[in-house]
Amino acid sequence: MWDQVKQSLQSSMGRAMESLARLLPGILAFIVAFLLFLFIGWVLAWLVRRILMVVGFDERMNHGAHTIAEWSPRLTPSQLVGRIVFWCFLTAGVMVGVSAFEAGSSESVVSGWILGYVPRIVGAALLLLAGNVLARYVSRSVLIAGVNLNLSYARLLSVGVRWMILVLTGAMVLDHLALGSEIVELGFGILFGGIVLALALAVGLGSRDLVSRSLEREASRAIEEQQQPERIHHF
Amino acid sequence: MAAIEFAEETRQQAERIGSADIVIGLAGPVAAEELRTRAAQMIPSLGPSLTSLRIVVAWPSPGAESAGASLNGSNPHALTLFPFTPPAASAGEFWAPVSAHQRAVLALAATLNARVCIVLGSDLAALDAHNLQLFAYAVLERQCGLVMPIYGAGKYDGLINTGILSPLHRALFGKRIRYPLSYDFAASGALCSRLAGISAGSNHNDNALLWPVTVAATHTSQAAVGQVHLDAHHQTAAGGLDLSAVLSQLAGSLFQEMDACAANWQRIRGSQPSPIWGNAPAEEADGQPIDTRPMLDSFLLGSKNLDEVWRLVLPPNTLLELRRLTRLAPDQFRMPDELWAGVVYDFALAWRLRTISRAHLLGALTPLYLGWVASWAGEVSALSRAAAEQRFEQLAHAWEDKKPYLLSRWRWPDRFNP
Repeated sequence: MWDQVKQSLQSSMGRAMESLARLLPGILAFIVAFLLFLFIGWVLAWLVRRILMVVGFDERMNHGAHTIAEWSPRLTPSQLVGRIVFWCFLTAGVMVGVSAFEAGSSESVVSGWILGYVPRIVGAALLLLAGNVLARYVSRSVLIAGVNLNLSYARLLSVGVRWMILVLTGAMVLDHLALGSEIVELGFGILFGGIVLALALAVGLGSRDLVSRSLEREASRAIEEQQQPERIHHF
Repeated sequence: MAAIEFAEETRQQAERIGSADIVIGLAGPVAAEELRTRAAQMIPSLGPSLTSLRIVVAWPSPGAESAGASLNGSNPHALTLFPFTPPAASAGEFWAPVSAHQRAVLALAATLNARVCIVLGSDLAALDAHNLQLFAYAVLERQCGLVMPIYGAGKYDGLINTGILSPLHRALFGKRIRYPLSYDFAASGALCSRLAGISAGSNHNDNALLWPVTVAATHTSQAAVGQVHLDAHHQTAAGGLDLSAVLSQLAGSLFQEMDACAANWQRIRGSQPSPIWGNAPAEEADGQPIDTRPMLDSFLLGSKNLDEVWRLVLPPNTLLELRRLTRLAPDQFRMPDELWAGVVYDFALAWRLRTISRAHLLGALTPLYLGWVASWAGEVSALSRAAAEQRFEQLAHAWEDKKPYLLSRWRWPDRFNP
C-alpha cells in the first residue's frame, strides 16, 4: 500500500517536474527577450534624447502658446520623446518575450490568449493615461478661465468638465477591453445623460438664482463700464 | 542667432541711401501721408544740431511705397523717408508685433551704420522735435547706450509696469528704469545690432518680446542707460485681448528673460539711479478715488477657487497671508509690498521649474495681480502724482530687499521653504 502511494507520488512529482522543465526554456527565453529589449530601449531612449537636445528640439517645441510642455510640465519635450521610445521598446519586449515563451515551451494556449489581449491592455492603459491627463488639464483650464471671467460657478464648471471626461474615458477603456460591452454602453448612456440632466436641473432649478445673479452682475458691470470712462489702465 | 531677413527691395533701398546719422524708426505701420505732414512740420523745430545730420525716417509699410523721398522744409539738409517691407516674423498678439517691428527698425539702423536709432510708437504720439532732441542729446552728447522714456502717466496708468515690470527689472538688473517696456526709446549705433538680435552672441527667438534694458544690462560692455521725460500719451490697443492674456504675455516673456539671463542678474545687488533729462510734464488733477470693488471681487473669487493651483506655487506662509487678506474690509485691504514681491518671485520660480503648465501658472497670477491693483489704487487715491511716485520707490525698494529670497529659491528650489 505504502509502496503504491510512494510510486504514485513520485510519478506525479515527475510529471510536475517535467512540466516545469518544459516551461523553463520558455521562461528563460521570455526573460532574455525582455532584458534585451529593455537594454535596447534604454540605449535608444538615451540616444534619441541626446540627438534631440543637440538639434535644439526643446527650444523649437517651446515656441508659441500651446506646446507639448503645457501638457507635460515636468518633462522637457526631448525627455518625453525619450520616455515614449523607452516604453514602446519595453512593450515590444513583453510581446516578443511572450512569443519566445510560446516557441520555447510549446504551451500555445496561454501565450495565444496573452498575445491576443496585450494590445487591448496597452491601448486601454494609454487611453486611461490620456483621459486622466486631459481631464486634469481641461478642468484646470476651465477653472482658471472661469475665475478670470469672474464666474462665481467656475469650480462647478471645472468639476463637471473633469467628471464628464473621466466618465467618457472610463467607458472607452472598458469598451476597449471588451468587458461587458452592452452594459457599459447602456450604463454610459444613462450616466452621461444623467450628468447632463442633473447639470441642467441644477442650473435651471437649484442654481437659478446664482446664475441669474451672476449674469445680472456681468450685465450691470458692462453698463457701468460703458457709462464710466475707464480710469484704470493696466498697460 | 536669428538674423532679420529684409526683402531684396528693402536691401537695395538701404544701399541707395548708404548711411545715416540718425534713424527714426516707427514700430508699426503708419498712415504715410500723416507721417509726411508731421515730419514736414517738425523739421523747422529740430534745431541746427539735428538738421546738420543725415536723418532717415523708416517705417514698415506692407505695400512698398515710393522710397528714398526727401523732405527739405526750409533747411538745406533733408529727412529721408524710408518705407520698408516688414520682415515675415511680425505677426502675433498685443506686444509681439511691436517688438518685431522694433527689432526690424533697429536692424535697419545697424545696416545704415546709424549713430543713433530712435524708435517711436506707430501712433506718432511721441513724434515731436523736443522728444527727438532729448533722445539724440542723451545718446550723442551724453554717450548713453540706451535711453528709455519716462511718461507723464497718471496714478492709475500702466499698472502692470508699476506692479511687476519696473520693480522686477530694477531688482534684477540694478537699474532704476521706470518704463522698461515702452513704445519709444533710443539706442546708440553700437547697441542697435545687439538689440535687433543680429550680432554675434545674440540669442533670441522671433516670438520673444524685446526688453531693451535687459539687453543693455547683459551686454558684455554694459551700456549706460539714461532716461528722458516724454510728453506723450500712447493709446495702447490690446486688440480685444483680456487682461489675463496681456498679463500672461508680458509676465511670461519677462520670466523667460529671467531664466535666460540668470547668470547675469544673480551677481547684481541693489540698484543705481539712471541719469534723467527733460522736464516732467505738468501734473493733471486726479484726486477722485477709484472703485476697487470689482478687482477685490476677482481676488476673493481667485482665493476661494484657485487654492489648489496657488498651493503648488506659493509657500504656506504666503498662502496664510493671502488668506488673512481675504478677511479684511474693502477699505482696509492692503497687500504688503514684501508679500507681492514674494508672490511674483515664486511665480517666476514656478515658471522656471515648470511646476505646473505655464499657461495655467500665468492665468492663476491674474487674480493676485488684481488684488495688488485694488490695494495700490486704494493707497494712492489720496496721493498726488509725485507722492505716488514716492510710494512706487518704496515698492521697488521692497522688491530689492526681497531679492535674496529669490536668489535662495532660484539656487536651491528644493530647500524647505515655510
